Amino acid sequence: MSTVDDDPVAAPDWVGRAANQSRLAFGLAVTELAARDSSVVAVSADTLDLIGLRDLSDRFPERLIEVGIAEQNAMGIASGLATTGLRPFVCGYAPFITARSLEQLRNDVAYANQRVVIGAAASGISLGVAGGTHHALEDLALMRALPNMTVVVPADAHQAWHATLATEHLDGPVYIRLGGRVEEPAVTPVVASIRIGQADVLRDGSDVTVIACGALVAPALEAAADLSAQGIDARVVNMHTLKPLDRDPILAAAAETGGIVTAEEHHLTGGLGGAVAELLAREHPSRMRMVGMPDEFAVVGPTDRVRDRYGMSGRGIRAAVLDLLGRSEPLA
Amino acid sequence: MLSNREAKLQGLREAALRLRRNIWRALHAAGSGHMGGSLSAADLLAALYFHHLAIRPDQPDWPARDRFVLSKGHANAALAAVLAQSGFFDESLLDDFYGFESLLGMHPDIKAPGVEMSTGGLGHGLAVGIGMALGAQLQGRDFRTLVMLGDGELQEGSNWEAAMAAAHMGLANLTAIVDFNKIQQSGPVKAVLGLDPLADKWRAFGWEVREIDGHDIGAIVDAFDALPYAPDKPSLLIAHTVKGKGAGFAEDSHLWHVNAVTDEVYRNALDELGDAQ
Repeated sequence: MSTVDDDPVAAPDWVGRAANQSRLAFGLAVTELAARDSSVVAVSADTLDLIGLRDLSDRFPERLIEVGIAEQNAMGIASGLATTGLRPFVCGYAPFITARSLEQLRNDVAYANQRVVIGAAASGISLGVAGGTHHALEDLALMRALPNMTVVVPADAHQAWHATLATEHLDGPVYIRLGGRVEEPAVTPVVASIRIGQADVLRDGSDVTVIACGALVAPALEAAADLSAQGIDARVVNMHTLKPLDRDPILAAAAETGGIVTAEEHHLTGGLGGAVAELLAREHPSRMRMVGMPDEFAVVGPTDRVRDRYGMSGRGIRAAVLDLLGRSEPLA
Repeated sequence: MLSNREAKLQGLREAALRLRRNIWRALHAAGSGHMGGSLSAADLLAALYFHHLAIRPDQPDWPARDRFVLSKGHANAALAAVLAQSGFFDESLLDDFYGFESLLGMHPDIKAPGVEMSTGGLGHGLAVGIGMALGAQLQGRDFRTLVMLGDGELQEGSNWEAAMAAAHMGLANLTAIVDFNKIQQSGPVKAVLGLDPLADKWRAFGWEVREIDGHDIGAIVDAFDALPYAPDKPSLLIAHTVKGKGAGFAEDSHLWHVNAVTDEVYRNALDELGDAQ
């Protein structure tokens, strides 16, 4: 599962155009769906290029609904479109398309249970230099708390493409968390299938399990490779769907390995770590460490450095594993 | 002998009277509720459901039906009553208003037959209505979308995002109706946060506006028959109404925006409306 097919000759057209950016892969996949299905429409909140919808706009101009910088309106309109049988994909910046339009999202989309897919770009601290107004570190907690909602966090552009196509078979609202204007390392194959709600075990191991999502899947694999050199055999699970949460691999990890470390680019409240802890507290109390954003607003800075400052990195995940296992860092 | 028009209007007046009785019936069953804004909207709703809207109560999901969204969702007693009178469900369901697991709570729920959108949070309905109107346009369907807004509700900024967008998109198949009863929960609208000049605001946003007496059935019918007011703009109907209309003790008072409905209140309300048939 973890091998990456990077053969440029065989790669489909979308791979190059997505340029390892999940936000662009989402827009390309929506365009692909629009070509297949005349009921697919996109709603943009001045986010045509952010989300890679320029091509859809050129090919199907009537099906690109631009509402301007007005996320509340975008969400309400998407709900109304869905009631008529259309398949709206509403796109925006993660901090705004969740928090700014939260009541529309809750009432018009989730409560009314409309088939709306939300593409949320620039999530986490992908806009690190933009500061706290533009960081989205609570979006997963907000979305997880809404009944009827499916919450997907693709690990890379390839998975974003497949996850977006897979929404074709889902009912009700779907939230897809996407990255910013930076390349994301590829950790899943170009040719792959995703089952929404079914996690992927990327690496087997018996000493400890790292359950990661989104931007922290690559650092989790990096940490597992480092730990292997220390004789620690870490399992790595890509929990690309936070809701519905895939129980089996979590319970298996709790039963079969020496503890669980979760890793996410999100506050430690209410995201992946919270979801895993809620399940384990009920069904299999286990020792855990949680890697993510502590209860504070992040500093300004380049994304990698800001992530690293709060331990959201391969190094931070490795340190959490060693702490969990009662092992010390190797001497440098 | 009555002319056809006068007979039609007389029928609508009787339907509106029965609607007011049914509003009180639901609120009495609930023990309390939003009588003020339900009664102010009653004549408009009677004309919508018994004259204007193309609907099939025995087929609530009929694809070609006109869409009506009650954005001022707290007037659900009026919506529930008019849906019951139209035949979407039995009038006896009004006796379960606010009941445990009832389809009919304080605010409309899309799960109830005839309800097009769950509303209640204010400032939501117009954006949803835009989506419906666009949905019709994109699919080449000719159903119309009407959204009823409260006046106090217009204090929510989301309405103005929607107003701007609907005009920008030239949605002639979208109509908004303002139930302008001039009273909100804590007092007169103009004292809480004034809307004047309301018609000019909408015109400036690009809507074609008409104003009527929202209790004059003839004027209401004419205003609906004249839709759309412009070929390339959304239409706005400002209906000047009286909060609590038909119950003298409740008219024009914010104390009857929402209040308890005791047996005595219920009796007084029905007495004022005249005996039920």
